[in-house]
Parts: sequence; structure tokens; C-alpha cells
Amino acid sequence: MTRGSAHWWFVGPALFLMIVILLMPIGIAGVLSFTNYSLGNAGADWVGLDNYEKIFTRSTYEKMFGATFRYVFVVVPLSVGLGLGAALLINSTKRFGDLYKTIYFLPVMAALIAMAIVWEFALHPTVGIVNSTLERGCGSVLETWSWYAHGCERGFPLWLTDRDYAIWTVAFIGIWQGFGFNMVLYLAGLTSVPRELYHAAEMDGARTAWDRFRLVTWPMLGPTTVFVVTISVIRSFQVFDTVEAFYPQGGGPSKSVYVMMFAIYEKAIQQNLMGIGAAITVVFLAFVMFLTLIQRWLIERRVHYT
Amino acid sequence: MTDLSLSSAGASSLPAYRFSVGETIKHVVLILGALIVLLPFYVMLSYSFKSPAEIMQNTGGFFGLQEAFRDDYCVKLGKDVADCMVTPVIYNYTTAFQKAPLLRYLLNGAIVTASIFFIQVLVALPCAYALAKLRFWGREAVFGLVLFCLLIPVHAIALPLYIMLAKLGLTNTYAALVIPWTISVFGIFLMRQFFMTVPDDLIDAARMDGMSEFSIIWNVMLPTAVPALLAFAIFSVVAHWNDYFWPRIVITGDRDLFTPPLGLREFKGDADGDNFGPMMATATIIVAPLIVAFLIAQKRFIEGITLSGMK
Repeated sequence: MTRGSAHWWFVGPALFLMIVILLMPIGIAGVLSFTNYSLGNAGADWVGLDNYEKIFTRSTYEKMFGATFRYVFVVVPLSVGLGLGAALLINSTKRFGDLYKTIYFLPVMAALIAMAIVWEFALHPTVGIVNSTLERGCGSVLETWSWYAHGCERGFPLWLTDRDYAIWTVAFIGIWQGFGFNMVLYLAGLTSVPRELYHAAEMDGARTAWDRFRLVTWPMLGPTTVFVVTISVIRSFQVFDTVEAFYPQGGGPSKSVYVMMFAIYEKAIQQNLMGIGAAITVVFLAFVMFLTLIQRWLIERRVHYT
Repeated sequence: MTDLSLSSAGASSLPAYRFSVGETIKHVVLILGALIVLLPFYVMLSYSFKSPAEIMQNTGGFFGLQEAFRDDYCVKLGKDVADCMVTPVIYNYTTAFQKAPLLRYLLNGAIVTASIFFIQVLVALPCAYALAKLRFWGREAVFGLVLFCLLIPVHAIALPLYIMLAKLGLTNTYAALVIPWTISVFGIFLMRQFFMTVPDDLIDAARMDGMSEFSIIWNVMLPTAVPALLAFAIFSVVAHWNDYFWPRIVITGDRDLFTPPLGLREFKGDADGDNFGPMMATATIIVAPLIVAFLIAQKRFIEGITLSGMK
């Protein structure tokens, strides 16, 4: 029973906004990526594939891809692994589980830009709490670790301003911020694993905790893992707040932290090179959409098999 | 009674002792993790209490000694030194509000997050209702479009959106902060899934009573959707209160429009040695509303934030 055209009044605004705000920009980015457009100029020249050629040949962009992939490939496995580990530990302890859960979830709630500023301060080479704590360990057994002994002798790393450490330090903060979110998703996934399966597995000879995990928990968490990994990948591809807070100019020591979102911001917004910015946007979108499609395919395949 | 409770307490604590090795290792690992997670929160709070000297020398414990120190800026203004002695915690928090219009930033943050959520619901709810409960030509196409749009992270298309807004002369306005977020395909999807579970009888009965489709949405469907709506509200408010990337792009220089993250960033930009205390106070004030709300209503928050897991 349809009554007149009420439905178009309901769907209309959403449809209009979807087209104007989500679809049109993709088209605009696509077109601009073939031009040398900049804001304020009347027109723009068609430059063909020049922008894409630059992205895939120039060393700046090579560094951009390097930094982005390094960040993603460190943050995703570690934040998913730690999230799963924390969930399993919390699930198996008898007491204080809720307390740990609350604590681990705190970074998810806090504005990342604020926490980035605090981390920068904690990691400060001279007055920061991290290095001053490390220095206190000097002279103890920790010095048998050669890295530690080296730090005691010549000073501990500068973390954020050292070319060899910068990207890993930024990645660490990304893990710190994101693993609590994954943990909560895994905890939700764990509650849906039927108890009987563990009994059944035990009957079949799964005696150790590792066997139970390998045979029951891990397969049952499959869909959760697919989702957690995808959302972690998309989030870490979009890292920006920490990078901009630490390195407002240039993307870190020797551009080692020059991630894609920051590149778009720098090229397009700061330097008004819209063509290049649009081309990076297109490449970025292609990555993210491709990954999400893989995720959907994996989930659907699972649904069909079981 | 006492006997029973005693023996049960004994029974539950006994195995805990017996297996203490495994259990202890677990807690040691979890506590170590908790310490690392809490470290920056500790630094932030502690430094917001301390004097510049205590921050630089890393002394004074968590709260600092709260000994009055000389505010050099005040002395420079030519006031009496005795009048310029300040207690660190009071100095830090008052400076946070005086040095920048922090209240204005917080108000902007509240206005922007509230408008975004309000418009998102206004747009998404009718659409979700139509997709779930009305039969019309093109419905599948619209739903397909919703599913496709779920693939697009708004931050990724920030550049063309910025160009569009600049062409319309809308940068540096509230509108620029709100417009890109007015459409939440995720909200539509979520509400649609929720409305699918509402029995058709309820809607038919409302129609029998002569209610218009419009009032069915706001008087019948909205009240049933309150739990889902609440979770979505938390999801939306947390994302936009904390968002830094988008405001950074569309607000350039006009302090009156700064959201809290932008205000903090600017504070950091011109901070010198003496201002770390006030800066940490600002950070604390900006982070506090959501953290406090989270601690009060943990379950709801975790539900809301992990909502995206329902996809």
C-alpha cells in the first residue's frame, strides 16, 4: 500500500545529499586529477596522466607510499594482535576484567590530537618522562641488553625526531590508540562462541589451551577478525592527527612519516596544487574501496559455506 | 548462613591460590599494559597541576608541591612581585581560559556536534523508514546506493569537498564544519536494519487510526528506535567532537570558529617553556567531557562505539 509520493519526500533529501556530498566529489577528484587546477585560477590545463606519473615516479611520493605502508603494516597486525590478546586475557581472568577493559578503552575516547601533544611531551628527549624513566634503569641488569647499554652511554633515542625511530614511534601511538577498540570487538565476538564447542573439542582430545584456541576460538572468531582487520586498515590508512601534530612542516625527519592524508593536506590545501592532491585522493580511494570489497567478499563467502 | 558464605569464599579463593602462577602472570601482563595505556593520561593530568620548574625537573610527584611561583608575564606588566605569586594548579587552569577563548571553542564544539547529529537523524530516519517499510519503485536501487556509499570514508574525499565549499564561499563558516557530515549512510543502514524488526502490524494500526506517513515516522517509529538512536548518538558525537582533520582544512585562522581540537593545536603552536602547564590543562579540559561521560555510562558507550561492528 503506497500512499501518493510520500516515499520520495522521505528518500529525497538523503538521496540528494548522497549524490552531492559523497558521489560528486569522487567525480570531481577524478576529473581534477588530470589537470593542474589550483584554487583562485579561472581555468586549468589538461595535463593527462602527468599527475599520476609524478606520484608513481618521484621520490617524494615513493617516500609517501613507504611511510603509509610501513605504518599500516605495523599498526594493523599489532593492534589486532594486542586487541585479541587483551580480550583473551580479560576473558580468562576471574577478577578485574571490567577494570582492564575500561582502561584499555580510554584512548579510543580521547581526542587523538590532545593525546598526540601529550605523547610528544612524554617522549621529549630531555624533560620527557619516557627517557628519564629509561635513564633510571641504567646500571641495572637491563644494561646486558646492548640497545639499552648503548642508550645509557650515548643517550636514549630522540624518538620523534630521529629518522630511524620516527615512523615506528608514530605507529606505536597509533597502536596505543586503536587496540582497545579491537579488544572490545573481540570481547563481543568471544561471548558468541558456544561453550559446548569447548567441551566437544576436549572430548576430541584438545587438552592444552593452545589446542582449544586453535580448534575452537580462532575459527569461531573468523568473521570478527575479518571486520577488525578491515576497519583497522582503513583507520590506519587515514592517519593524520599525530603526523600533523608532530611535524606540521614536511612530514618528519627526511619525510619518513609523510603519510598519504598528510600529503593530500600539504599539496592541496597548503600549496594549492589541487591536481596532485586529487590524484593522491583517487589512489587513496582505490586502496580503501578495494580493501572493503575484499572484506565483503570474505564475509559473504563465509556465509555461503556455513 | 555464615557458614555457607564462609565456605564458598574459601572455595573460591582456594583454587585462585592453587593456580596463582598462571593467574598472576596474566595480571602482571594486563597491569603492565594498563600502565602504558595510562601513561599519557597521567602525564597530562599531572603536568596540568605542576609549576614550570617542576615540569622541567620532573619533581613534585603527581600533584606537585603547589608552592606559589612568580608569574614572569605578570611582573613584566609592571605589577608588584608579591601580587604576581601564583599557585600552579590555579595558574594553569586560569591561563588555559585566559590565553585563548577556550569557552568559545567548547561552545563551538557543542554546537557543531549537536547540529551534525540532529541533521543526520532528520535526514536518515525518514529514509531508513521508507527503505524498510514502504514499497516503491527504485527502492532496491536506493538501498544499493547506500551500500556503495558505505565504502567511502568522508575524510578521503576531503579535498574535492573543500573545493566545492570554497567555490560556494562557505569556508570559515559553521556550515563548512557541518555540511559534509549531514548525510550518514551508516546511520541510514543502521536504522533500516532496526526498522526491519518493527512489526508491520504496528504501522498498519497507526495507518488505520488515520496517521499520516510523516507522523508515523516521528510518533511511532522514533520512539521504538530510541536504543539504536542513543548508540548512534554516542558514535556520532565522539567522532565529531574529536575530529581534527576536517576542521583543520575548512577553518583557517578565524578563531571564533575553532573547535576544541583546533584551539589546542593553536595553543601548542605558540607554546614556550612556561606554557606547558596551561597547555596540559587545556588538553585535560578538552578530553574530560567524553572521558567522564564514558566512565559514567561505559556500557552504552562501548555499545555505541562498536556499533560499526554490526555491519
